[in-house]
Amino acid sequence: MPLGLAALGELLVERAGLINIGLEGAILAGAFGALVGASTAGGIGAGFAAAALAGLVIAMLFALCVIWIRADQIIAGTALTLLSVGATGTLYRALFGSSGAALRIPTSEPVAIPGVATLPVVGAALFSQPPITYFLYLLAPALAWWLARTHAGLALRAIGERPEAAEAAGIAVDRLRVLAILSGGVLGGLAGGTLVLAQAGTFAEGMSAGRGFIAIAIVVLGRWTPYGVAAGALLFGAASALQYAFQAMGWNAPYQVFLVVPYALTLAALAGAVGRARAPAALGRALETRR
Amino acid sequence: MTEPSGGDERIALVLQGIDKRYGATQALRSASLRVRAGTVHALLGENGAGKSTLMRIAYGMERPDAGAIAVHGAKVRLNSPANAIALGIGMVHQHFTLVPVMTVAENVALGGHGMLDLSRTISELHELSARTGFSLDPEVQVERLSVAAQQRVEIAKALMRRARLLVLDEPTAVLPPSESTELLRWLRSFADQGNAVVLITHKLGEALSIADDVTVLRRGRTVLVVAGKDATAAALTDAMLGAASAGEQVGKTPATDRVESRASSRIPVFRAEQATLADTSGMVRVRDASFVIGAGEIVGVAGVEGGGQRELLRALAGRLPVVTGVLERPDMVGFVPEDRHRDAVLLDRPLVENVALRGAGTRRGLIEWNTIGARTESLMRTFDVRAPGPRAPIRTLSGGNQQKLVLARELDADDMTSTAAIVVENPTRGLDVRATAEVHARLRAARDAGAAVVLYSSDIDEVLLLASRVLVVYAGTVREAPIDRDVVGRLMLGAETHAER
Repeated sequence: MPLGLAALGELLVERAGLINIGLEGAILAGAFGALVGASTAGGIGAGFAAAALAGLVIAMLFALCVIWIRADQIIAGTALTLLSVGATGTLYRALFGSSGAALRIPTSEPVAIPGVATLPVVGAALFSQPPITYFLYLLAPALAWWLARTHAGLALRAIGERPEAAEAAGIAVDRLRVLAILSGGVLGGLAGGTLVLAQAGTFAEGMSAGRGFIAIAIVVLGRWTPYGVAAGALLFGAASALQYAFQAMGWNAPYQVFLVVPYALTLAALAGAVGRARAPAALGRALETRR
Repeated sequence: MTEPSGGDERIALVLQGIDKRYGATQALRSASLRVRAGTVHALLGENGAGKSTLMRIAYGMERPDAGAIAVHGAKVRLNSPANAIALGIGMVHQHFTLVPVMTVAENVALGGHGMLDLSRTISELHELSARTGFSLDPEVQVERLSVAAQQRVEIAKALMRRARLLVLDEPTAVLPPSESTELLRWLRSFADQGNAVVLITHKLGEALSIADDVTVLRRGRTVLVVAGKDATAAALTDAMLGAASAGEQVGKTPATDRVESRASSRIPVFRAEQATLADTSGMVRVRDASFVIGAGEIVGVAGVEGGGQRELLRALAGRLPVVTGVLERPDMVGFVPEDRHRDAVLLDRPLVENVALRGAGTRRGLIEWNTIGARTESLMRTFDVRAPGPRAPIRTLSGGNQQKLVLARELDADDMTSTAAIVVENPTRGLDVRATAEVHARLRAARDAGAAVVLYSSDIDEVLLLASRVLVVYAGTVREAPIDRDVVGRLMLGAETHAER
């Protein structure tokens, strides 16, 4: 589920023609923010709010580097991820001690949706989940609708394809880019919050564990469409579940082999999908210098 | 030139006393333009006269350093295209501003607010098609459309935003003749409905056949305002080229400098026979060109933008294949493209690597850096390239020194026997007077050493100064002209074609 949120956030950023490698950093910051929010203010709501805020801060730094200073997107994103790894680790030790006594915080309880939660096989997997999951279910169609049916969505897509054309049409290109980055950051932060508040119940240094990069791959896998991205996230989640199932079967094979399954599956899907996919034309292109 | 803009609504657009400077270049000096509603207004001028800059100012894309703008009788400040659009100004740029993967309807809807109702846009476009006689399929992707159809999309975009003043920058430069005629006819009827059209053009014939009023810019100044019916090709040409200065400019050229040439008496280096050339998109740009360029002469190329000279130069340099006909050329032709930073050098790499680039596509194996280092140093000596050293990034050099290095590389100056030919395109763009003179001297020296030099410059005086004869490209036809500013200028504008009609 965290992957879905992060990937939908990155989708927005990439449709605006930008690539934010700093997503990994936003997720990690969000996870740490969730810990701080939930343990100090208490409560899951405060945890998610703090997670979103932490993701927003990382995204603001990214926007500052990329839009304001016109720095290279890959470098800025990488730097922010490294910054986030270092900062969350340092702050964690400073605030909670380095003893490593894992802090337990209450996790968001699954809420079963009556009627569908009892369906065989998929019922419990899809409909007996923490509330943030249902938010994700709503987010994909909402984004799809926004991109297709509003002028702002059209403008965002135009910026990702041909920013000069968008500018000539009277669109404030940089402002929209900043908004996309900030939204992506908030969703990345929430993804990190989900890790802590709906899954682990604790924070560990570097706990994002590459999910930001997987999310970026999922955007490609989902061909830059909200439904595609949601499906990609589900596929990856299913592959992870499969991995546990394989392990439980007690085959005589090193467990690392099973760990590879979700990644290998994603890679295979990616190889099959990319040939037919078409990225936003201006994706990752150096931003035009300002007059 | 025009009386102050009162609150007269019948004047669609007034630009008055507009100054604009870019760095060291004064693009506009107190330029003015006055467009009446219900008319087609032609804005004429040579390359670099300031036409496009003036209209970019009218569309809010550039801000003037000084001057006043009034739209439909009201004084305005234009800070962005959005302001201009709101005032009913529409612009069709020479390079289209469309999103290729989106449909016509999506492109038209771009820039709106709130909810996107594409089905409404589609029905409005159908209605517009019916009303104006435009044929447009709103649901097709723009990248699948022909250039002419893409241009119609641009116009439709402006019309859907209720544009009452339409500015078109060289709209016919990209169109085949039949489509051009159709477009001009449509613009006429658009103006007749009480709207206004500003037609930026190089083509005299076009201006004379359609315009109610004509404004001519020369070197950033408005030099002539005349009613279309009173305009003559001769008067417009004189205004564009500056009749008084024409004789003077040519007279300045020292007679001794000119090596009288007769192509037949030279060893031919380039020979074209009925050569037809197309641009990278496959559109035919030069048709049935025949000429010979010999060793030891500088042949000028002149033409207005989009006329086909770009393709001609690239074909001579071996960068573009010939579609039909014959074009004989040496295997290795030096080429100095006009955009030095983009196409000629690797700005952040050292001089030696930039020198090593010559012929890099045809070499294999290891690079002998010692040899190339020695060659770089000798090129720097012979061409007087002032640089911190052969290992310095080329970015650290002044523009003049960069260009000298490029020239030296392309001329292969230590080994003159191998370079029999070089094609140079705007070789002194952006250079100061001193560097320009040095580049000119190098080109003459190359000629004297027996090279065939093909020189294109958008500054016609530069061509006249260096060349012994000129190939003029106009709308795809190549004609030879002597060193005569008047003859070359007229051929460039297609004036003769006009007189023939």
